[in-house]
This record gives sequence, structure tokens and C-alpha cells, in this order.
Amino acid sequence: MIDLTSLSAQLVELAVKAGAHSADALSIADSSDSIRVRHGKTESVEHEDSRGIGLRAFVEKQGANGTTLAFASASSSDVSENGLNRLVEQVMAMAEISEADPDAVPPLGAEHPDAQQLADWQKRHACTEPAWQIDAARDAAMACETAALESSPLISNSEGAESGFGRVRVAYASSDGFAASYEKTSAALSVSVIAGKDNGMQRDYAWDRQLTGIALRRPEDIGREAAQRTVRRLGACGIASGTMPVIFDPRVATSLIGHLTSAANGRAVLQQRSFLGESAGKVIFPDFITITDNPDHPQGLGNRLFDGEGTRCRQLQLIDQGRLTGFLTDRYAAGRLKTVPGGHARRGLTGDIGIGCSNLILQAGNMTQEDMLRDIGNGLLICELIGFGVNGVTGDYSRGASGFLVENGKITRPVQEITIAGNLKDMFSAIRHVGSDLTWLGSMAVPSIAIDGLTVAGQD
Amino acid sequence: MTETVANERLRAMNSSPPPSSASSSNISIPDSTLSDMLHAMTPAGADDADLYVQYSESESLALEEGRVKHVSSSTHQGIGARVIKGEASGHAYTDSLEPSALMDTARAARAIAADSASRAPVAVHAGKSGHALYQATNPAAAAPMAERKALLERLDGFARRLDPRVKQVFANVSSSFSDIRIVRMDGAELHDVRPLVRLNISVVVEQDGKRETGSAGGGGRFGLERMLTGDEPERLAREAVRMALLNLDAIGAPAGPMPVVLGPGWPGILLHEAIGHGLEGDFNRKGTSAFAGRIGQQVAARGVTVVDDGTIAERRGSLNIDDEGTPTGRTVLIEDGILTGYLQDRQNARLMGMQPTGNGRRESYADPVLPRMTNTFMLAGSDSPDDILASLDHGIYAVNFGGGQVDITSGKFVFTTSEAYLVENGKIIAPVKGATLIGDGPSVLKRVSMIGNDLELDPGVGTCGKDGQSVPVGVGLPTLRIDELIIGGSEA
Repeated sequence: MIDLTSLSAQLVELAVKAGAHSADALSIADSSDSIRVRHGKTESVEHEDSRGIGLRAFVEKQGANGTTLAFASASSSDVSENGLNRLVEQVMAMAEISEADPDAVPPLGAEHPDAQQLADWQKRHACTEPAWQIDAARDAAMACETAALESSPLISNSEGAESGFGRVRVAYASSDGFAASYEKTSAALSVSVIAGKDNGMQRDYAWDRQLTGIALRRPEDIGREAAQRTVRRLGACGIASGTMPVIFDPRVATSLIGHLTSAANGRAVLQQRSFLGESAGKVIFPDFITITDNPDHPQGLGNRLFDGEGTRCRQLQLIDQGRLTGFLTDRYAAGRLKTVPGGHARRGLTGDIGIGCSNLILQAGNMTQEDMLRDIGNGLLICELIGFGVNGVTGDYSRGASGFLVENGKITRPVQEITIAGNLKDMFSAIRHVGSDLTWLGSMAVPSIAIDGLTVAGQD
Repeated sequence: MTETVANERLRAMNSSPPPSSASSSNISIPDSTLSDMLHAMTPAGADDADLYVQYSESESLALEEGRVKHVSSSTHQGIGARVIKGEASGHAYTDSLEPSALMDTARAARAIAADSASRAPVAVHAGKSGHALYQATNPAAAAPMAERKALLERLDGFARRLDPRVKQVFANVSSSFSDIRIVRMDGAELHDVRPLVRLNISVVVEQDGKRETGSAGGGGRFGLERMLTGDEPERLAREAVRMALLNLDAIGAPAGPMPVVLGPGWPGILLHEAIGHGLEGDFNRKGTSAFAGRIGQQVAARGVTVVDDGTIAERRGSLNIDDEGTPTGRTVLIEDGILTGYLQDRQNARLMGMQPTGNGRRESYADPVLPRMTNTFMLAGSDSPDDILASLDHGIYAVNFGGGQVDITSGKFVFTTSEAYLVENGKIIAPVKGATLIGDGPSVLKRVSMIGNDLELDPGVGTCGKDGQSVPVGVGLPTLRIDELIIGGSEA
């Protein structure tokens, strides 16, 4: 097995030797396996091994205002000596083309985790997961699909169940001498089934993803949830247009939090592409909304000790009792927004640095989803959203939806072929309640969210 | 399962390329190693097996705040091994080209097969070649980075001079090529080199504290130098600025069912979502598509003919061969309103007793093959676009869209306007804000009442997502009247 940390450090060293002012490098090695079963038989088996390296190099440029820095980045899957040299050559040639930016922040002097923090992290997040066991994975997928197919006579078909496991190692090095790595695993189990026939077919699914296989929900429970979700959609039809309260099931409530973090992205704010650009420090939600970015959670698939620039990640109260405390930042955005780097640099092997959260947790309320239905009286429960009708600049929102009609506090029938529309700023402040049903979905934990006054378009 | 196509727009290319001359590959794996891999991975009872060897390079320059600050490239290579038996398939992928890693990969792909006997070894030999729809070269070869940078700077200045309300300009030029070798179970080797270029510009405008955005782009499978010259870049910049300014004045869109006129070109995303995905072979073999078992039935108004054509020179969705080595073709999906065909890869075609249609695609060597669209469009009718718009008493005229998505099983699909107008008595009243339109795939085309004589293909910017895999696609449409769709506006 290649030592990714020294590979990253070696790349940085080569770049500096080639004349770079400074550089940082990322190496990623990924190994993943999955098995899919359908109607009780193995449908496909997949195995992947990959590794890649990414280098970002800064060069000095002389201009009218003195020396400024420009940078370029490149990635490759060729980790041979030749491959590394070629990568450095490419990056240096591109950095010459690249325009200097007076605000550029070179990979020097970030607030890295210290040796003690690194050692502590490795100990607490040791990957003890055993290697991929295809037989156990197949059994889990089979049990999951069987439970779904057998849980109701209305289930008519299956898209199959899939069991997967992945292990990724990430190593980062920068020219200030920092070099460190971490390893993460994730296990997943999912199933999707179909109920009904011909024109009336409906599909739904259930899934779980955790750091380890042992932490996954029982296959039978996932299967039964998929069947229940599917069957209750049978007979769905439209409703007449109107304005009404809408409850977002946790599964779709995550997308609202996603729109929030896109708008709180410090780089988007600098680019004037965010509807929250002027909202730092302001109240944008009711006071019962608190949202935390927690990079070190026992269940967190988004756990990380340091970000894509080696900055140590810390817990952040992004929304504190309704108030947007600040923007999400990497070192560049923090510099220009005159704030402390938040450790939110998200980085792939190539391209510019992006911004993203670790684990986002929306503090639960104390009403069950049933309580919330009773509370809104008449409206909608939305369980699926499709389409891309979100304008990040204005916050205008319009998406396709399906779910359930709520009448007199109870679900009366399934609904489809409708849209819901509004403006995210208004929607955020019109949140009426959040539920007690906090649900982990990947790296987000979100309860049901009820919002007043959305425009629903449809046809009875 | 929901399928998507992401945003984008315009430009028709019409010159034909010189014949392909590619034969040398960027990856050197000896034929004997490929032959050994095939032997190790293919059980005697396999229905199909192949190796997919890929080398790809891409480059991107991006301008922001007046500076080309982001220059990046990537170089990736790898090999995918696949074995198919009945409905089952085994896949293994690696980006290590070490012989031992390659043999491990071959053996891992075999995991689905219980039988221990292997097929006899085969020698790797040249297979039948496909079309020659584009030049088999790196499309950036004749466009030095310095010229690309100069183009972006030129566009930035141009867009800002168009209107003082332009506050931000983002421009991006990217190019890539993918060199693939497919070695089939019988040893036949097929080769394709696929260039792809793209230019995109988006702007943010501001007026009285209100901001809006607009964007435009174009591209295809041709040399990048063609994007650097001529007026096309400026046309895209004008388009982006025009859209952004238009949206500043947009009123809220209505909510509810009403007639819609779609403009030509990219609004063909309607076909991609409403029809195309539902006709992919995998969903139909498994009976999970709302279109399953409907061949021969009327699914659209008379006069509606929809095709998927991967053979149009230099288009973003075109391929000389698909990712299984099958030459691409022109598949009629709906003919005069009647459902006539599915889009097939080899496995689904075999299982359904049909012929592969050249639609087996994968995002890269590290993904399984799926039946996918290429360029999907509706043939022109005979109505004049002006007459179609004039026929609209009260409705929406939508000429540009962002992305769309479909639920294959229920058939419900959406696509979201990025330029649309409220129309009364055949006259445009005002631009409306982006709104999602929702409809039912198997029935929406039955409500087509007028088909324009102005078929246009999109500008070469579409990307389709399925099972987490993205592939470039094209769409096209003549001006079209649909008597009823649900408009997801905010004005109930």
C-alpha cells in the first residue's frame, strides 16, 4: 500500500524545487465494493480500486503593485515517479498563465491540528471495520429486498436492493511542513420497490448509510419501510392550486438545509450570488431554529479533523436561535470577508477549492410528525421533491413534489403532479415548527419542518 | 429512481470533419495482457464480457472578478472489466496499470459466475470501425492556453460594457478528450477518441438593490479554436446579459394548469424527461417504467415523431461508437404519435430479444454501462412559430430552461423555466420568474396541438444524470404548443 502522506509531501517538495512559491497536495485512495440483488438473485457485483493525486501550486508575479501570487491546480491517477514529475511540470506551466490575485492565500501558516489532536483523532476514529465480506453483504441485501416484497401483497415489482462498503484514505501536505492523513469507511444498504400496475405504478425506497456495517439499521426494517412508503403512494392524484402550510418530511427537509448552506457559502457571497449576502448576523429563522456544523460526531459521515487546506475544523453554530452567525469560509473567503477561516474548504483532486459543511444538525423540536399534521390542520406533507427550480441569487423556489393531502389534521390521500413555490427567505422565516423526529440522512440530521404559506400548483 | 438533465444552451455546427485517422492509443497495455485478462475473467457460460480501457485529459480556465484565476487540468486513466451472464453482471475497475492489479481486476469481475471453466483464450484483433463524426484529436491542440485566457478576458470586458448594471461576470472554457479502447469477449477491439469543448458565461446584474442572474453557453465535439474566433462568444455574452436584465423585470409566474408554447431548441429537454428516460431498455425490461409494454400504443398526438440520433457530426451527444463498441444510430422512439422503440445496450437488448441501438453508455471506465440517450429531438411540423404563439389566448411562452427530472415509474416529470413570458391574446405581456412545469410523460404529448416548422437542436451544453453517472447529451425541438401543463408559479 502506498504511503499517501509521503506521496503528498513529495509532490509539494517537487513543486517548490520547480520554483513554486508554495504548494499543497491531496492524495486520495478509494476502495469500494457493492452487490445488488433483484428478485432474490444476484444482479451485479462491483469492485473498484482507485487513487489519485492533486497538486495546487502558487507562483510569484511581479506587477505594478509589487509581488502578488497566482496559482494553478492539476490532478492525475499516475502516481509513478514520471507521473509526479509530469504533474508538477503541468501545474507550473499553468500557473504562469494564471492571473495573479492580490487576495490569494498561499498554503502557509494555516491553523493546522497539532500532533496531540492528530493522535487523539486517529485513536477515537480508528477504522476497525473488517474487510468486505461479499456473502454477508449479499445476505443483507437479500433480507432487505425479501422483507420489502413480502410486507404487502400490493408490492408488484422490485428495482433491487444494494449493499455496499467503501474505504477512503485522504492525505494532505502543504509547504509549511504540515502533512497528515485520515481514513474513513462507510457502509450502505438500500432497496427500492414498486407497487401497483400499469398507469398506477408507484416507486419508493428506503436506505441507510453509516460509518460501519454494524451500525446500519436492520435489513428487514429498511425493507419494510420501503414497502410502506411505496404502498401508501398508490392512488395518488393532483389537488387544486392554493396557498397552504406544507410539512417537509426529514427526507426532503435536508434539501432546505442544503439551500441554506449554499447561500451561506462565503465564496458565493463574495460573488454576489447569494440571497443571504447581506444577512450575516441577522435573524433569518424563527428563534427555535438552531443549526450546528459538527465535524466530530460519533455518527457523522461528514467527520473531518482538517479541511481541504489543512485548517483544523471546529464546531460552528451556523444558525443560533434563528440568527445567521456568519458565512462558511475557506482561507480565501475568510480573508476577504475579514473573519477567521472556518475550516470549510472542500476540495477535490482538481479545480478550485469549494466550500462545504461537515455534519449539519438541526436541533429537534418536541412535536411528533402526527402532532404537526394536527397543528397545520389542512395542508400537505411532502415526501419527495424533484427538479432544480431554486435560484440561489434571489431565493426564488419552485419544485415538483409528491406527498399527502392533510385534512383536519390527518393524512387523507396521496398527492402527485404538483409543484410548491415560494421564496427561500420567506420560507425560512415562515417555519412554523420543527419535529421531534430527528433523522440522520448521510451527513445531515434533520427533523420534519412545517412551513406556512407555500403556493401549491396542481389540478384536481 | 429519478433521472435528470442539467441546465444549458445553444449553437449549431454544420461543417463536417475529416475522416478519423486515430489508431495509436494513449495507454499502452500490451494486447497479450488484455487477452490474458479476458481469459481470466470470462467463464465458459458467459453471455458477454468486455474490457474498457480509457485515457482522458481535461483542461479548464475560469474567469471571475475580471481575472482568469482558476486554471486546472486532470489526466486520468483506468480499465474496467465486465462479465455478463443472463441478468447478472460483474464489474471491476482499477486505475493501476500494474499487471498484477489488472489480473486481480479481471478475477474480481468474474465474481458473479459460479462455473470454474473458462472460455478458450482469444487474440486481440481490430474490430469493425464506427462512424467518423468528429476529429480524433485533443480539441485544445490548436488553441493555446494564452489565447483561451485572452478570450475570457475579452468576454468579461464585452459583457461589462453591454450594461452598467452588470456587476459580476463568470466565464469558463473547458476542453477534454477521452481515448477509449473496447475489447470484446471475442477479442475484437474497437477504438474511439472523443473530443469535447465547452464555453460558458454567466452574469449577475443589479438594479435598485435587486439582483438577478443569466447565463449562456455552447459547445460540442470539435476543435476549441473554433470557439475562440468569430462572433459566437460575444453572442453568448449578449444572451447572458439579456436574460439577467429580463429577469430583473420578471413578475411571479401563475400557479396551475394552462396552455404552454415551448420555443425551439433546448426546450427539447421536455422530450428527454417526459419520453426519453422512460424508453431506456433497462427500465422496460424490468417493467419499472411508466412506458413498459406500450410499444404500438398511441402515446402522442398524430404528427409527433421523436428520434434519438447519435450520428450527427460534432454534436455534444454524438458518438462514433457507444461504450460497448456498437456504432450509434438513429432510433425512432415515437412515429406519428405511436410508440415504436426503446433505447438499448447489449445486455438489455439480448434479454428483451431486440437489437442493441448504440445507446450503451458509461461515464467512465469506473462505471457500469447503462442504456442512455444521445441527441433526442422531435421532427419539425408544418406550423409557423408566429401562428403558434398567436394561438395562445392565456398561457405561458417558455423559450429557455434550466434542468429537469423525471420519476420513471409514475411518469411524472419536471423542467424549470429560465426565460418565460406570460401571454394574453397571442401577445407577450411580461417576463415571468423561473417556474417549474410538471406533467405526466405518457400523456403530455397527447396534448400537443401545433408543431412548428423550425426544428432547432440545443447549443451543446446538456448533461444527463442517471444512477449517479453524468454523460453529455443533446436535445432539440421545434416550436410546440401543449394545450395543458401545470405551471408551478408563486401566484395562486
